[in-house]
Amino acid sequence: MIVDAGNLAMVVALLVSAYGVLGSFLGGWRRSPALVDSSRYALYSVPVLLLISVYALVYAFVTKDFSVAYVVENSNLAMPDRYAWVAFYAGNAGSLLFIAFVYSVMAVAVAASMVRRLPYTLPYATGLLGVLLSFFLFVIVFLANPLDRLAFALPDGQGINPLLVHFGMFIHPPMQMAGLVSVALPFSIAMGALMAGRGGRDEWVDLGRMWGMVSWLILTIGLLLGSWWAYTILGWGGYWAWDPVENSALMPWLALTAFVHSVMVQKRRGMFRMWNIVLVTVAFTLAQMGMFINRGGPVPSVHSFGQSTMGWLFLVFMGVTLLGSLAVFAWRSGSLKSRERLDSILSRESAFLTQNVLFLAVAMVTLWGTIYPVISEATQGLTITVGRPFFDRVNGPLLLILVFLMGVGPLLPWRRASASNVLHALRYPLGSAAIGVVLLLVIGVRQPVALMALAVIIMGTGGIVHEWVRGTRSRSRKGESYPVAFGRLLAANRPRYGGYIVHLSIAMLAVGLIGSSFYDLQRDIPMMPGDTRSLGDYSFTYLGVSERSFSDRDEGTASFAVTSGDRDLGIMSTTRTFYPDFRIAATRAAIRSTPLEDFYIVPSEFGEDGQTVFRFYVNPLVWWMWASGPLLALGTLLAVSPRRRLAPAQVTSPDGIGLARV
Amino acid sequence: MGKSGTQRDPFALVAIVGLVAVVLVLAACSTNSELPELEQRAQSINRVVMCPVCPGESIDQSQNPLSLRMRAIVVEKLEQGWSNGDIYDFFVERYGPRVLLEPPTQGVNLVVWLVPLIGVIVGGALLFFVMRLMVRSSGERHGEAEREAVLTDEERERYFGRIETALTADGPATDSADRDDEDGGVG
Repeated sequence: MIVDAGNLAMVVALLVSAYGVLGSFLGGWRRSPALVDSSRYALYSVPVLLLISVYALVYAFVTKDFSVAYVVENSNLAMPDRYAWVAFYAGNAGSLLFIAFVYSVMAVAVAASMVRRLPYTLPYATGLLGVLLSFFLFVIVFLANPLDRLAFALPDGQGINPLLVHFGMFIHPPMQMAGLVSVALPFSIAMGALMAGRGGRDEWVDLGRMWGMVSWLILTIGLLLGSWWAYTILGWGGYWAWDPVENSALMPWLALTAFVHSVMVQKRRGMFRMWNIVLVTVAFTLAQMGMFINRGGPVPSVHSFGQSTMGWLFLVFMGVTLLGSLAVFAWRSGSLKSRERLDSILSRESAFLTQNVLFLAVAMVTLWGTIYPVISEATQGLTITVGRPFFDRVNGPLLLILVFLMGVGPLLPWRRASASNVLHALRYPLGSAAIGVVLLLVIGVRQPVALMALAVIIMGTGGIVHEWVRGTRSRSRKGESYPVAFGRLLAANRPRYGGYIVHLSIAMLAVGLIGSSFYDLQRDIPMMPGDTRSLGDYSFTYLGVSERSFSDRDEGTASFAVTSGDRDLGIMSTTRTFYPDFRIAATRAAIRSTPLEDFYIVPSEFGEDGQTVFRFYVNPLVWWMWASGPLLALGTLLAVSPRRRLAPAQVTSPDGIGLARV
Repeated sequence: MGKSGTQRDPFALVAIVGLVAVVLVLAACSTNSELPELEQRAQSINRVVMCPVCPGESIDQSQNPLSLRMRAIVVEKLEQGWSNGDIYDFFVERYGPRVLLEPPTQGVNLVVWLVPLIGVIVGGALLFFVMRLMVRSSGERHGEAEREAVLTDEERERYFGRIETALTADGPATDSADRDDEDGGVG
């Protein structure tokens, strides 16, 4: 009954959303405020309708309704109710419904935020938002309906993939999916403004930037959580493997990072109008590419999550939106003439442009490496694997230059700089980098790449710290105490200081990355109970393994007594779980994490005679990578938070719609 | 640090202490030198050879029984004095070229490496010329007026000097923070 209601709600949502698309474009074109309004309200109703479908699916899971095919495939009688959340998006059809629902909520929020501030762009943006929504709903209703019934009910289901039942999996996949789809938000605003013929005015920039950063934040958190999950649960001591699915989430992130930066130049100087629309279109296309690779793309990957045969459909949709964007671009490009030109190659504007191009370069290299196996298969009939060594070697230097620009760019003046005032602006960063390098050499960091990268990071950090110190000091002269002065400094210019906080967290991330890639220590050691071995400063005694059997799994927990120098670090235990029904083994690493380094134990190979091979890692500075996440989120939120002084709406019209007087 | 020596600056001290702390943290990092050379070589090989039955994962990363056996083979061959190249060839012979995560640096597939290289060079050159073009056309548009607005070095020095004193000395304190960049982005 409820399942049927959910099914019906889905069909109605598709019809309503299709009406929203047609009505919006038509209303925009014919300048009919009534039609535009009714279309927008149609869009507003979609999340409500989809909520019914979502509820129906959850209800089917919780009531163990094994007449629903999707419930059979992704749960069983033994599954606790709280896993319904994971089971919901564990398969293709359910994840599509999840995406459609989340996206509809975000689309409504975007449309609502535009009503007062961008009345002329609104109809087109609403239409564009609706196009993607209608596409998802079409696929769900006709090709992958999670509420489809079987001819007869089964007694039990197949159960949920045990690898998904982990805290990281409760957040990472939904974040990642929401992140990919949210790239459509800034795209719709920018492209909508262009379609409305208002690309040459910079009125869309504020909202475009805001939603761009929201999308960026969701994508970033998704990526970080994915790495964190891989690090703690996959048991290989790493967090990023340049796997195709990882790459497909990274590529739109790179393009979007370029966009949220370069859109600032348009805001400040009215430049890069055409370029910004190109960037956001590239980001959106890459996000769709990500969804395509996720859903049964042609590239082999460790992520079998949500596989299906409908990848081609996403590819076709991607092609159509790309062609459509190009057509709009060709039609309206005349309106995009920039007001200002570059004054000098040495300026903040050109630093932004260089940064944009570098981010795109990393994205393109990643794309090239990801699809090359398909190309070589097609041209030579021979699959060539392009893996981690390629990406590290090619993207590494580009990313290093980006970190350098992150330090230098914000200190360059707008318009034009001379060599002398650049040096003047950089005296603190360069000074700290110089001192840093000397100290690093003294303590024995000799690896040239690591040294260079750390110097660049110290330089960037030095620049930020100097800015903060300067601002805080000059405020404190007014009699504010240092903490108050610092707080007010951040609040006074949120985009700027929020950006600095994000930069600082990226520097933290980079420190973790460098520490763990250049100074990690790894060793496989066969051990019998009672053996004591050591790695780095750690010394550990294998206490033995305790086995426990459950109805669905067998767990073996190995324990170690660990000491570091004179300090007793207590017992660390690592668990290997085998799920016979799925023939899947999962390991949970034992990790002792400190800001200095992680000590990481994972079982590798169980012998018959009681001897077990364990793998031990000492991963320096990884802690900083995970610690950077909350700081990054904080900085981004500060940067998008509205200013206290309300900005006057840039386009207002007496009736609040404004279409009548275009 | 720069000019901070000329005046008492508590923040410079904080910055230096922070820097030293970071460096000490790094100092504590262990290095790989503790491992025997053979084991280091085995690890670097394991990271390049892909597990044939678990696409995308290296045999270093994968805990599949086949990967364990391949890791053992790597150690065995190294002990017999094989070079890294010999071992790669050994696996390629058995599983085909796709078993290596690093694409080949010869033959047709050199194109994997060349395309990014050429792309970056051409892209960089293009970027430079586009920026040059943008600068030049701005010069043409603004003409003389623009050129007159350019400060001489001496004037600029004086101008920046005054800003600097306003910022660091007893000038109106809020200027730097509030007016500087009201809604400017960072970069």
